[in-house]
Parts: sequence; C-alpha cells; structure tokens
Amino acid sequence: MKKIGLILSCLLLGMTMLFANGTAEKTSTATKTNEPIKITFWHTFGDAKRQGWIHSVVEAFNASQSDYMVKEESKGSYRDCIQGAILAAKQGESPSLVHVAEAGSQLAYDTGIFLPVGEIGSFDTSDYIQPVLNYYTIGGKVNSIPFNSSSPVLYINTDMLVAAGYPADYVPDTFSDIINCCLKARAKGVANANIAISLNGWFFEQWLSEQNACMFNNDNGRTARATATLLDSPEAIKIAQFYADMQKNNLYSYTGKFEDWDGSDAIFTEGKAMFHITSTADIVNITNAVGSKFKLNVGMLPIPDGSTRNGTVIGGGSLWVTKNDDPKELKGARDFALYLTNTDNMVAWHKLTGYYPVRKSSIDTLKSQGWFDTNAKQLVAFNQLLQTKVNFASAGGLSGTVYDNRTIVEQAIQKVLNGTAPEVAMKEAKKLSDAKLAEYNANIQ
Amino acid sequence: MQANSHAVFKKSWAAWLYLLPTIIILITFIFYPALKSVILAFYRSNFFLGTRKFIGFGNFRNLFKGPLAPGFIQCFFQTILFSLCVLGIGISFSLFLAIQANKRIRGARIYRLLLIWPFALSPAVAGTIFTFLFNSEIGIINEVLEKLFNLKPMWLSNPNLAFCVTVTAAVWKNLGYNIVFYLAALQNLSSEPLEAADIDGASGWRKFWNIMFPLLSPTTFFLIFTNLTYSFFDSFGIIDVLTKGAPMGNVPFDNAGITTTLMYKVFIDGFGGSSNMGFAAAEGTILMILVAGFSYLHFEVFGKKVNYDV
Repeated sequence: MKKIGLILSCLLLGMTMLFANGTAEKTSTATKTNEPIKITFWHTFGDAKRQGWIHSVVEAFNASQSDYMVKEESKGSYRDCIQGAILAAKQGESPSLVHVAEAGSQLAYDTGIFLPVGEIGSFDTSDYIQPVLNYYTIGGKVNSIPFNSSSPVLYINTDMLVAAGYPADYVPDTFSDIINCCLKARAKGVANANIAISLNGWFFEQWLSEQNACMFNNDNGRTARATATLLDSPEAIKIAQFYADMQKNNLYSYTGKFEDWDGSDAIFTEGKAMFHITSTADIVNITNAVGSKFKLNVGMLPIPDGSTRNGTVIGGGSLWVTKNDDPKELKGARDFALYLTNTDNMVAWHKLTGYYPVRKSSIDTLKSQGWFDTNAKQLVAFNQLLQTKVNFASAGGLSGTVYDNRTIVEQAIQKVLNGTAPEVAMKEAKKLSDAKLAEYNANIQ
Repeated sequence: MQANSHAVFKKSWAAWLYLLPTIIILITFIFYPALKSVILAFYRSNFFLGTRKFIGFGNFRNLFKGPLAPGFIQCFFQTILFSLCVLGIGISFSLFLAIQANKRIRGARIYRLLLIWPFALSPAVAGTIFTFLFNSEIGIINEVLEKLFNLKPMWLSNPNLAFCVTVTAAVWKNLGYNIVFYLAALQNLSSEPLEAADIDGASGWRKFWNIMFPLLSPTTFFLIFTNLTYSFFDSFGIIDVLTKGAPMGNVPFDNAGITTTLMYKVFIDGFGGSSNMGFAAAEGTILMILVAGFSYLHFEVFGKKVNYDV
C-alpha cells in the first residue's frame, strides 16, 4: 500500500512538472474605438535622472491626447535592448518603439523587424541637423529618429595648462600640438601632464571622419552594402601613429581595459591628466566631478596634422519603430518619437544631460535663452557639429560589424601601445575585420 | 540490471521511476542544449538576423585556418595555461593553508572562517574587489608600493601582470572551497600513521609527502576535478569584471587578449559584436572536447594513483 502511494505521488510530481509551464490568460487587446492604443517604448537609460525625465515626457504625452497610451521601460545596455527586442519580435510581442545605438543601425536594419520611420506617413525632417539625420538615413530613407546624440570633445585642465606657460583659453588643434603641449608642461615640471583617452574604437571612427576618410568601402556602406574595411588606409595609420607617438613619450594614460569610459574620466577628474577626450554627453557629470579641484575648459577634438577639419560622426542612439499590422500603432509610435524629440523637449534633455538637441529650432531657443552665455563649454560641441561637412565620411560607417570592428581596432591600438608598428597592426586589423564582415555578409543572400 | 538481494529496489522499473524527474531535468537543461549547440556548430547562424544555413565544417575550418585562427589557437593554449596555473597554485596553496588552519592554536576557528569566506562572494564582487585593489592609479596596492619602493606597476594594462592578477583572483576566490574540503579530510585522518612516523623519526616534509599526501589523495583527486571545471567555466565572472579578456599579449601572443579563455571567447563571439552564433558554437564544441579530454586523462592517470586506504 505504502509503495503504491509512493509511486502515485511520484507520477503526480512528474505530471505537474510536465505541465508546469502555463501562460497567464491574456486580457484581450483593446479593439474598442475609444480605448487608447498601447505604445511600448524600450530604452537604455536606467539611471534615476534620465529615466525620470523620460517618464515625465511620457506622462505629458499621455495627458495631451487620448489616442495613445505610452509606457516606457528601461532595458539595460544597448545590446540587451536590441537583443530583447529581437527575441520579443520572434514571439510576436515586440515593443512599438526601440532605442538603438548608432553603431547598431545596420544590424537593426538587417533584422527586418523594424519599419523605416520615413515610410510612416509623411512628416517634416528639415528641422533636424543634416549630418545627424544622414547617419540614420539608409538607402535614401530615414530609418529612425535621432534621440540622444553626442560628439567627442577635448577636456582641458586649465590650471596645468597655465602652469605650463600657455594662455588659459589655448586649445591644441592637432595631434602634434597636444603632444608638444604636454612635453612643454613636463619640461616646466608640471606633474601628471598626460593625455587620458579611454581605449575606444569610437574615437578612431571620429578621427577618420575628420580626415574625410571612410571606415568601410562603398562610401562607408552608404551607396551599397559594405564588403570590406579601409583600416589600412594612410588616414587610419596616421591615427595609430598618434597612439604610438603618445606612448613613445609616455604621455598616454588609461586603465588597461577597453572602452572604460568611467575609468578614464576618473583619471582626468582626479587630476592625473592634462587632457581628456570623451563625449559631450559627460560634460555635466565631469564638471560636477571636477567641482572646484581645478579649472576646466572644453575644446574641439584635435585632428591629425595636415588635414582640414571635416567634422565628427554623430554618436548616441536613435528611435526605431517596429513593424506592425496596425497602422494606428505605427503612427502612434512615430508621433511619440517626434514628441520626445520636439524642440522644447530636446532643449530640456540637453540641459539635463549634455546630449545635443539635434534640432535647429532647439539650438535657436537655447541661444535666445542665453544658455550659451553661461554654458560656453557646450557651445564648442555645437559649433563642431554645425561646422561638420555633409559627406560620406561624416555620415559614419554603416555595416553589420561596426561593433566587431571597434573591438578589432581597440586590439590593434593596444598592440601599437605594446610596440608593434602602426602599419603592421592596422594591416592585421584589416584582415581580421574583413573576415568578420565577410562572415556576417554571408548570412545575407 | 541483475537482481541483487541487497538492492533497495527489487524491480528495476521502480528505480527508473524515481530517477525520472532528475533525468528529465538533466536532459532538458543539460544534454539537449549541449546536443543542439554541437549541431549549431555546423551552421552559419546569426542571432540578430535569425538566419541559419548548413555549412558543414566551415566554422571549424575558420577556427583552425584563416585570419581568425591565430586568435582562437592562442586562446586555446591560454586556457590550458590558465587552468594549470589555477589548479597547481590553488590546490597546493589551499593544502598548505588547510594544514596550518588545522593546527591547534588560539584563534584557529577565526582563521578558518577568514580563509573560507571568500568562497561565498559572487564572482562579480570578487572581480570588483581586485579591480579596485590593482587599479594602477588609485589602487591601494600601488599606493603602498609607490610610497615604499617608488614602483608603479601597470597591473591591468601590462599583459604579463594582468594574467598573473587574473590567476590570483581566480585562485583566491576558490581557496575557501578547497580549504573546506582539505580541512574536513585532515580532521578525519587517523593519527596512528603520523605517530608511527614520529616514533621512526621522520622529518616534517617526509611525514607530509609520504603519509599525509597519499592519505589525502581522494580529496586531492576530487578537488583537481572541481578546480578544473572551475577554471574553465566559473572563472568567466572574474575575467569579465577584471579585464574583459584584455590586454593584448606581447608578440607572439598578440592575436587575442591574454586573459581571454575559451569560455570568454565563446561569449565574445556569440553575444558580442555581430553575434556569429555558429562560430561560437564551434568554439564551444572544441571547449567541450577539451574538458572531456582533460577529465578522461584525469580519471585515467590520477584515478589509479588514488589511495583509498583509511
């Protein structure tokens, strides 16, 4: 008897385990004409300040109309966000609007789960700054709405600069200017006269753009799909040479880890470097971290010697609309994206974070408010963006392997720092990156 | 199964029934995914695009021939070196510490506690502790070294030092685990053989090597195996937080990050960049074969040397 009881309970346990997965009953989606359509927005800002702001914009949008009800969710990193969106789309429950990093644009386009935003009715894009919109234009169509945009700028420890004998508003213009400045400072006995840049392929892309050079063939992947990298071009080697020159003079300072934004910020804000290159999006954070330790100045990105300033590639992210059978949901997602990036919201976003407001009208509003009189540092980045020439180089590289390429470039630069000749390192990098790109493109018939 | 009068279950089907839940879980979560991943290695698959195309041994060919091969081969040998270091240093150091902790001195309990608690940390926390300790600018180790000897080693950007720091972090994290087992084994040792050795006038080293160590061999055998799997798989957390696989080694080890083990390479290739899943699955299959090979060798070579006499 006891044995039968045991066997029965065993079977019961087995059965419950087999059928233990159940999905909660779904409440039927609103089909009544008066119910607002649900729009889900996935983004990557999890910190209280930025997510709080996004939440307030969502609430304002929901209160201003009754056709749509937007819900926002932070999904962690850019990678988690897009991978989550793909998985959700595979299960038929994709979010309406997704925040994708700029480098993932070709990847997002190739997944086939997004609809180019330019295909959802017609709307005015003339107010967006042209080079920025260019990045997100694929095959002549605007694919996504730029949301958070940034560029690299040069942060300067003015106290060290003055101690080295330079005027307080001096901004080195070229690679050799910045190296000579540090060497002079060292000769004058200024301690920690170093250059802190996090080891990131993003800066490499920026410096290629400044030299009007492309990262990928087929006009940076813009006139046709990219099939090879141009990492062994003379412009690319010039950039690698800069790292070699800095290392030769023992001027380059970083934490040893790739893409360690915070680590390199800390080196600068702790006063262990004279120059620092990072995104404008960190102006507010760096200014706060520096506090009253030393005087801070901001200048344009120094460029390779002998090149005319062509401009920088926009960094950051944009908003992509997922494919949907319901045209109303598509329109709702697009309308919210346009609302989130309207003139006033972009002004507020910029003041809160340091990201650009990529609308000309927002810049005019800020000027009329006298924002740049008290925040001259921000103006530097603006001018750098507004002066960017519109061409394929500044449109940025479009390819499925931008992230792989960045890692390979970072590894090549580390080899250069360890003593490998720049041409050798970049030729190796080209071979590796081309192999990765060929593997990726082989997926696409 | 032969009927055995001492067996608990008289009929084999009853035994299978009780094993069924565990077997179902093992198949669902371990064997089936492993099989699928070996199958995936023969396809070209991209996570973002959702594509999947059969290419036979194409991925394996790319692993051993072609531009991506040197990086993989370097990771392969690095993994073996890393595991041998973690194994060798980890086990010998833990044994030494366990013997010290086993002595009857004041505060022995506290010492044992201090030696064991690092095991309870999550790998991410352990990695973070080491990141701050060994930060070349603001870490406390460099502060002390600079004051005393005016040295400022670049712990995490110099490849050789970074490898040593990673091995140290991995060994430190697992010390607690090893010490617990050794302590238990030591406390179960009968004192007769050691007393007999004392009477015969054996030196401390002799007592250890000829009596204690053979008597501890079952525990050593077990710990070598668990440390092997630890160094291959569980060191992922520490590597991800501490170095993220970087920095690149000096020539000729400059094809991949010096702390990139096979497990970490699978992660980078499969989930980073453009997510070449098939390629990562092929690397994972090679890793599986490597671990299986090591385990087999381990059981064959050391299994025979284990001394089970009490």
